[in-house]
Amino acid sequence: MKNGTLFFFGLFASLTLSFAVVLLANHQLGALTPYFDDGEGKAFPDRMPGVAARGQLVYRDLGCASCHTQQVRRPGFGADQTRGWGERQSVARDYIFQAFPQLGTMRIGPDLTNSAGRKPSALDAEDLMNLLYSGQGAMPAHAFLFNQVKVTGEIPAKALKLTGSAAPAAGYAIVPSEQAQTLVAYLLNLNTVYDYPESRPVVLAAAHAEGAHQ
Amino acid sequence: MSHDTQEVSSNDVHARGPLLLLLGSGLVWLVISGVLALIASVQLHTPTFLASCAWFTYGHVQALQETAFVYGWLANAGLALGLWVLTRLGGEALRAGNWVTVGGLFWNLGVTLALVGIMAGDATGHSLLQLPRYVQPLLLIAYGAIAVAGVLAWSGRRSETSYASQWYVFAALFLFPWLFSVAQVALFVLPMRGVMQAITAGWFAQGVFTLWLAPLALAAAYYVVPKVTGRVLPAYQFASLAFWVLIVVGAWTGGRHLIGGPVPAWISSLAIVACSLLVFHYLVVWLNLKGALGHGGAVMKFTSFGLLAYVIGGCADAFTSIRSFTVVTQFTYFTQAQQQLALYGGVSMLFFGALYFAVPRLTGKTWASAALIGGHATTAILGVLLLVISLGVAGWTQGQALLKPAVTFPEIAAATRPWLLLASAAYTVLLLGNLMLVVNFLQTLVAKPTASAATLFQATSDIKETA
Repeated sequence: MKNGTLFFFGLFASLTLSFAVVLLANHQLGALTPYFDDGEGKAFPDRMPGVAARGQLVYRDLGCASCHTQQVRRPGFGADQTRGWGERQSVARDYIFQAFPQLGTMRIGPDLTNSAGRKPSALDAEDLMNLLYSGQGAMPAHAFLFNQVKVTGEIPAKALKLTGSAAPAAGYAIVPSEQAQTLVAYLLNLNTVYDYPESRPVVLAAAHAEGAHQ
Repeated sequence: MSHDTQEVSSNDVHARGPLLLLLGSGLVWLVISGVLALIASVQLHTPTFLASCAWFTYGHVQALQETAFVYGWLANAGLALGLWVLTRLGGEALRAGNWVTVGGLFWNLGVTLALVGIMAGDATGHSLLQLPRYVQPLLLIAYGAIAVAGVLAWSGRRSETSYASQWYVFAALFLFPWLFSVAQVALFVLPMRGVMQAITAGWFAQGVFTLWLAPLALAAAYYVVPKVTGRVLPAYQFASLAFWVLIVVGAWTGGRHLIGGPVPAWISSLAIVACSLLVFHYLVVWLNLKGALGHGGAVMKFTSFGLLAYVIGGCADAFTSIRSFTVVTQFTYFTQAQQQLALYGGVSMLFFGALYFAVPRLTGKTWASAALIGGHATTAILGVLLLVISLGVAGWTQGQALLKPAVTFPEIAAATRPWLLLASAAYTVLLLGNLMLVVNFLQTLVAKPTASAATLFQATSDIKETA
C-alpha cells in the first residue's frame, strides 16, 4: 500500500459504511410514534410517570442490567413465554419513551420487562422492598438502599415489616431511602400491556389466506 | 544465536521514556483489573460478598474491571507497542515523545476518574463503554495527543512501501477516535431514541474489538513473528486482503448480541453474515502467522497461544451467532467466556508476547528473571484455559436450564456454582501471573544496564531482512 491518501480514505470510508448501517436502522426506528388504538381511544405506550423515570436512573446506576434483561424474545425462540415473562415479544415501540432503555445482556436473574404484569400475581411494593433489603438466592441484598432510624413514638408508615433475624433491634425501624422508593416505583411500572400489530407472531397460514405473496 | 539477546537501536532510546510510561501504567491497571475481576467473580457464587457496600455492587465491579482492563491495560499497552512497531518499521526515531508522555498522563488520569465515577454510579450501562460521559472528552483529547506520534511515524517513514504491522497500527490509531467520538455524540450528546441506543452501543463495542484492539494486537504479532522465527511469512500476499476484510466488515458484526431482541431482524441477520465473512480474515491471519507455533521462547509461547485464541475465538463467534446456538448461549456466561477468549486469550496474550520482546530493547537490559517469565507464561496459559472452559460450561449449563421453564433461578445458580468457583480460581491464577510480570518489569527497570547490552547498541535489523 504505497498510496497513503488512498489508504486513509479507504479506512475512513469503511467505518462510515458500517455507521451507515446504524443510520439505516435509525431511519427505520428513530421516528417510531406511539400507536393509537381507536377502540381504546388512546395511544400506546404510555409515558413513564416522573418517579418511575427517576427509578430507571437508579436501576442504571446500580448496574441492575448486569444480571437482568428487559427484552422478551419471540415465542419459539427460547422459553421466555413459558417462563411467564410476557405473552408477546418486545418490540422497538415499547422503548420509545425510555430515556435509557435497559435491554441488558445477562440473565443471572429473571427478565424484568413485564415484572409488574406477571400472572397470576406480580410482586407488590412490599415484596419488592423486602427482596431488595434481604436479597434472595443469587440476588444480593441491597441493604445500603435503606436507613435504620430510631423510633420515637409511632413507627414510620414506610418502615419494612421484618421478622426473625432480619428484624432491626428493638426501638429501631428500617425505612427505604428515596433511591429505593423510586426504584420500586420503576419496577412496579414495568408492564407491557398493549399488543402492537408488529408484536403479534406471524402465522404463515393466516398470511397466505389474507393474500400475502401475491 | 538466541533471539532473546539484545538488539538495541538508537531509535529506541528516544522512545524509552514515553513508551515505558505507557507500558508501566498499563501493568498497574492490569493488576487492578485482575483484583476487580476476582471480586466480581466471587460475587457471582457468593452474592453476600461486599453486598453491603454501595460502591461495589456486582454491576459496578463488572463495569470497573472491564474498564480497567480495556481502557487501562489494553489501551496503554496497545498504544505503546503500536507506536514502537510503527517507529521501528518507519526507520526513524520516535518524534513527539513529549506528546505521548503528556497524553499518557492525562489518559491515565481519565481512566482513574472513570473508575471513581463508576463506583459512584455514573457508568453508562453500555458494554465496553461504561466510562462516565464526563470523562469521555478528556480521554479523546489525551488519545489524540498520544496518536500524534503515530501519525508522524507513519508519514515520516523512510520507505514508501509499508508492512502489515504498519497498516494495522495506523488503522487502529485513526479508527478509535472516529468510533469513540461518534458514539459519544449518538449516545450522550444527542442521544438516539429507544433501542437505537443498544444498536449504536453494539456497533461501538464491536468496533472497539475489531477496529482497535485486534488491529493493535495483530500489528504486534506481524512484527514479532518474523523477527523471532527469522522466516518469511507464508501467504503474505493475502495479508492486505485479510486487513481490508477486518476493517470493512468488522464493525458490521455488532448486531449479533441483539439476535431475537426488539430490533428488526435484518440487523442481526447482517451481523451473522458479517461474522461468517470474517472467517476469511481469521484464516489468512492463521496462514501468515502459524510459524509462531512450536517455536521456543517466552515471546513465541505467548504469541502462538494468542494467535490460536484469536483465530478460534473468531470462528466461535461465527458459529455461535447462528440462531440455533444463540438461543442457548445468549444472556449466559457463555458470552463472557467468548469475550474473555477474545480480549484476554487473544489480544492480551499477543500483547504479552510483544511486551517480552520489546522491553529488553527499549530499556537496553535483559529481563531480570527468566524464572518469573516462565511462571507468568505457565499461569497465563493455564489461567485463560481454565477461565474460558469454566465460564463456557457454566454458560452452557445456564443456557440449557433457561430453556426449561421448570428450572428455577436458585436451581440454575446451584448448577453453575461449581464452574463459577473454578472461574474464580482461574482469575486468581491470572492475577498471580500478572504480579510476576509486574515484579519482573520493575526489577528490570531498576537493574543496572548490563555490559553486553551496551556493546550491542547498534542499528536495528530492518524488517525487510526477515519479512
